[in-house]
Amino acid sequence: MKDINKTGTNETIAKGPRLSRRGVLTGGLGLGAAGLLASCGDDDSSSGGGDALKGSDETNMKGKSVAMGFAVIAGWPPSQLAIELFPDFATYAKEKFGYDVTVTKTEAPFAELYQKIAPSLASKAQDFNLMVVDSQWLGALSEPGWIVKADDVYKVNPDLDIEVYSSLVKNTYQVYPDGSGVRWGFPQMPDTQGIFMRLDMLEDPAEQAAFEAKYGKKLPTTYEEFAPMTMVEYEEIFEFFTRPDEEFYGTALQYAKEYDFFSCAYHPYAYATGDIWNPETGEVIGVLNTDEHAKALEYFVGLQKYQPPGAEAFGIGQMIDLFNNEQVFSAMQWLAVGLFMQGNEGALEGKVIACPHPRFTFADGSVDVIGAMGGQPWVINSYNDDDHMRVSIDFLKWWYTDETQAKFIAKGGLPWSKKGVEAAGFEESSVYARAFKEMLGEGKSRDFWHLPEYAELLAIQQEAYNGFAAGQYTDAKKVLDFIAVKQQELLLSKGRTKVAIPDDLKGITL
Amino acid sequence: MDTLNLAEFEAEPSPKGRASARAGTRDSTKSRLLGRALLVPVLVFFAILNVIPTFWMIGLGFYDYTLGRGDPKFVGLDNFVIIYESAEQWATFTRTLFFMVVAVAFEVGLGVVLGFLFWGSAKMPGRRLALTLLFTPMVVAPVASGLFWKLMYEPTFGVINYVVDLFGGQKIDFLTDVDWVTPAVLAVDIWMWTPFMILMTLAALGSVPTAELEAADVDRLSFYQRVRHVIWPHGKFILMLGILLRTIDAFKTTDLVLTMTGGGPGNKTEFLGVALYRQAFNSFDLGRSSAVALVLLIIAIALTSIYLYVLNLSRSR
Amino acid sequence: MVSTRQTTSGRRIGYYTALWAVALIFFLPVLWIMMAAFKSNDDILSVPPKLAFSPTLDNVSRVLEESSTIPYFINSAWLALGSVVVAILVSLPAAYAFSRWKFPFTNFLMFLLLSTRMVPATAAVVPMFQMFNAFGLRGRFGMFILYTSFSIPFSVWILKGFIDGVSERFDETAIVNGAGRVHVMLKVVLPQVKPGIIAAFIFNLIFAWNEYIFNFVLGDPNTQNIPFGMSVNLLSAGGNVDWGFVAALSSMYLVLPMMMIFFFQRYLLVGMTFGTVRGDV
Repeated sequence: MKDINKTGTNETIAKGPRLSRRGVLTGGLGLGAAGLLASCGDDDSSSGGGDALKGSDETNMKGKSVAMGFAVIAGWPPSQLAIELFPDFATYAKEKFGYDVTVTKTEAPFAELYQKIAPSLASKAQDFNLMVVDSQWLGALSEPGWIVKADDVYKVNPDLDIEVYSSLVKNTYQVYPDGSGVRWGFPQMPDTQGIFMRLDMLEDPAEQAAFEAKYGKKLPTTYEEFAPMTMVEYEEIFEFFTRPDEEFYGTALQYAKEYDFFSCAYHPYAYATGDIWNPETGEVIGVLNTDEHAKALEYFVGLQKYQPPGAEAFGIGQMIDLFNNEQVFSAMQWLAVGLFMQGNEGALEGKVIACPHPRFTFADGSVDVIGAMGGQPWVINSYNDDDHMRVSIDFLKWWYTDETQAKFIAKGGLPWSKKGVEAAGFEESSVYARAFKEMLGEGKSRDFWHLPEYAELLAIQQEAYNGFAAGQYTDAKKVLDFIAVKQQELLLSKGRTKVAIPDDLKGITL
Repeated sequence: MDTLNLAEFEAEPSPKGRASARAGTRDSTKSRLLGRALLVPVLVFFAILNVIPTFWMIGLGFYDYTLGRGDPKFVGLDNFVIIYESAEQWATFTRTLFFMVVAVAFEVGLGVVLGFLFWGSAKMPGRRLALTLLFTPMVVAPVASGLFWKLMYEPTFGVINYVVDLFGGQKIDFLTDVDWVTPAVLAVDIWMWTPFMILMTLAALGSVPTAELEAADVDRLSFYQRVRHVIWPHGKFILMLGILLRTIDAFKTTDLVLTMTGGGPGNKTEFLGVALYRQAFNSFDLGRSSAVALVLLIIAIALTSIYLYVLNLSRSR
Repeated sequence: MVSTRQTTSGRRIGYYTALWAVALIFFLPVLWIMMAAFKSNDDILSVPPKLAFSPTLDNVSRVLEESSTIPYFINSAWLALGSVVVAILVSLPAAYAFSRWKFPFTNFLMFLLLSTRMVPATAAVVPMFQMFNAFGLRGRFGMFILYTSFSIPFSVWILKGFIDGVSERFDETAIVNGAGRVHVMLKVVLPQVKPGIIAAFIFNLIFAWNEYIFNFVLGDPNTQNIPFGMSVNLLSAGGNVDWGFVAALSSMYLVLPMMMIFFFQRYLLVGMTFGTVRGDV
């Protein structure tokens, strides 16, 4: 806890600046300095020492003591579990390899965590030896050579290369660029979307009778009944439970401007309509800003009528608060926080049902489920010195042992390996396990952009979408036009596309 | 020469030392060297932590550079042209200006009125404690006040909406309603900084010589006459300084808004500081951000010059 | 006669009550935070708000038990205290030199110093960020000199103002009697500008104590302070804010600044105006 001062940090201070300090003094003015920044920013993207990637053996770490730095996502229980379980690792490392290890965590919410680790990695520091990051950052972290290529680790540690449950795991948490098959991340926590509902209300005979009287059909109560239902069918249930006089509402969705909250909640609606960009040509215009997408966006924002006031600011946390304070019947939420959707002090335990994301009717008339992928991979700092590299690999090896994974899952973690997901009894292990497994199936969920420009692309649409949800902008088509133009302009300026902005859309403002 | 001397505002009378300005010039080169040597530590700090980064910023403003995405590329004035042509940038600027003007107007208005009210409270029991409570909003960490105002504004649990509800009003989503968010953020800024204007008003009033006030008493001047002919001539400069400092601070407002709204809903509360922060550290587009920062630096220097101009006026009055 | 006095004292009571009311209105939100520190999370979120509640020390003990609070507190303290002390040590000679030697460049330098504090933090942090990265300055040393450099302009301004107020005849007399300049500065002038030093100390301290943006962007795990912790670290399981925890932490963190205003009220004005305006309140 106190004063875990890593020698690594100090070394970096001594090592990094040498070339640049002289450069600034001789180069004098800013123009020189700016050029120089490059020389210390982006060269040398080699990943770690070859031997260290094997991890420790019985002798090479004996008697040493190592202080590790982890970066994890604040308020995100699955990533906190790595810290919580760390003492077990320390014991394991002491017994198996004979070294002492401690950990300091740095945590920040999603967006801020990227702001924290990127500068540290850019200065080649070892503040964070091992990091839990969001899947979309893979491009931004791997292109400058900040993280170790997972393939290099798998090459020398074939036992770490565990069979995944579906291609979603690989494509979301490991591979960059998309489709290349080159892996950078190690799955930490997989996550998919679902809906949490109040089972006790669904099973209440009075509610059932009232619902049947109003809609002429039975109120569904089981997973089997809910799973095939479309969003439109769900609407009746939301409407039924929306009771503003009692300050009780049908559902809650995420519309917040913060990080990717709006985008992740909305993307399933967009995926059911088409794509959000064309990954081959890099075009956004003409793909995102269609009339169908505008309708989907209007529909998604229109669902606010079944929700408590202030939905424009709802994020993951509000879903938990509203659901646990019994102010909503249901909440569209990441299944990974299922453990926390059980009421205040467990008041709703046994009274909750979790189902897959409601289905959509696709453009071709088919009905199926599609969700956004959540979840995070581990990544390894490529500037780790040999000792920290070995311990990082040791940690991952320990993390993926059956015993650790079992503890992780018992404390609310989720599995991603074929073995873990298909294990007997997994579906019954928690209220949300079955829905999670369904959504992790081939083609049931999608992740978006792993490009290094992720943060900019996201900021453009989060601001515009949130403005639309809040009523600052009222024309859905124009909002999409604006996002498409701004995103394509960005991709164009970064050389990710060659398609110019059509004249009639140039200079569009909201 | 010594435009920065503010001996006038000394609470305790001090002998004016100007006659003996020889002290420094009188003696040798050795003395002059010593004088300069005494400046060295400050200048070293200033050079390392202000001059170098500033030149760096100026330089980078002419480059296309994003952290971790290859070498900086010289693009000449492109960044500045983009800023100039960007409708969003101008909208942010206008928004900040509006925020600044309204916030300062309210703070000055309220501050002056309340300052007058507190004038003459010297014998109030527990005055020190009362003033401590009054001035506390200024010293709460902005991150903490941002967080708590967010909770107080909350539509479901927030205490403010409870009060609104109590008086029969409709609950308001203060921080997510596009019409309410600006007033809501303004209210917090006004809460935080009105005490500062009270403080400045008290100082302005304190600078009026007691003799003149007593004379006004004897002459039975009306309140208006007193303000116009006795208080204003003495107090106006301190008040002006207060207004200027508040203007500069309101122009800089960042962490409060960042924690409270993150610039939302949409971009309703993206003030210059907030927008720049998001631009610089969400996407690490450091070339463009440097250009924006440079523009802000120039504005800040202009505001500082005005401030010093008024300061000097007040000295030479 | 008696009745007049009674009305006067009646009006006085009314007047003082009004003043107290104003002070309390401004304090109310802070009071609400402080009350929340002793409430359970359910009580904090309860509608209608609870004025009568059974106080709990649960939040406070959770703050003390959370493994990162103490290190964060320590970081806040040493960063703020250390940098302010160094800043004053460095600023005093400079302020003395500016005051006594009257260099032709004095005004310009003083202006530059002042302008650095007028720049929005977000604008200043951008170039600082580039420099810290290139020079490997993130970490204890970097944050320390950064906070010191923030406190310098402020201190130079305040101290120069005060030293200007000390007659040069003191200097001359001492020099005639054979004392050196440094001796004069430390033994003759310094004792007379103590109020300036206190003012510079307090206000730089409060600033550094509450500083967030630079700490967030430029700090590393060894420098994270409480405002940093408040913004990123206080979310309880699942991403919702643990209000009781934040309230307790904020209240504890506010003790120092509030004590500063209470005990050093005289210096408030000097501090808040960069030393350009002085007087009592």
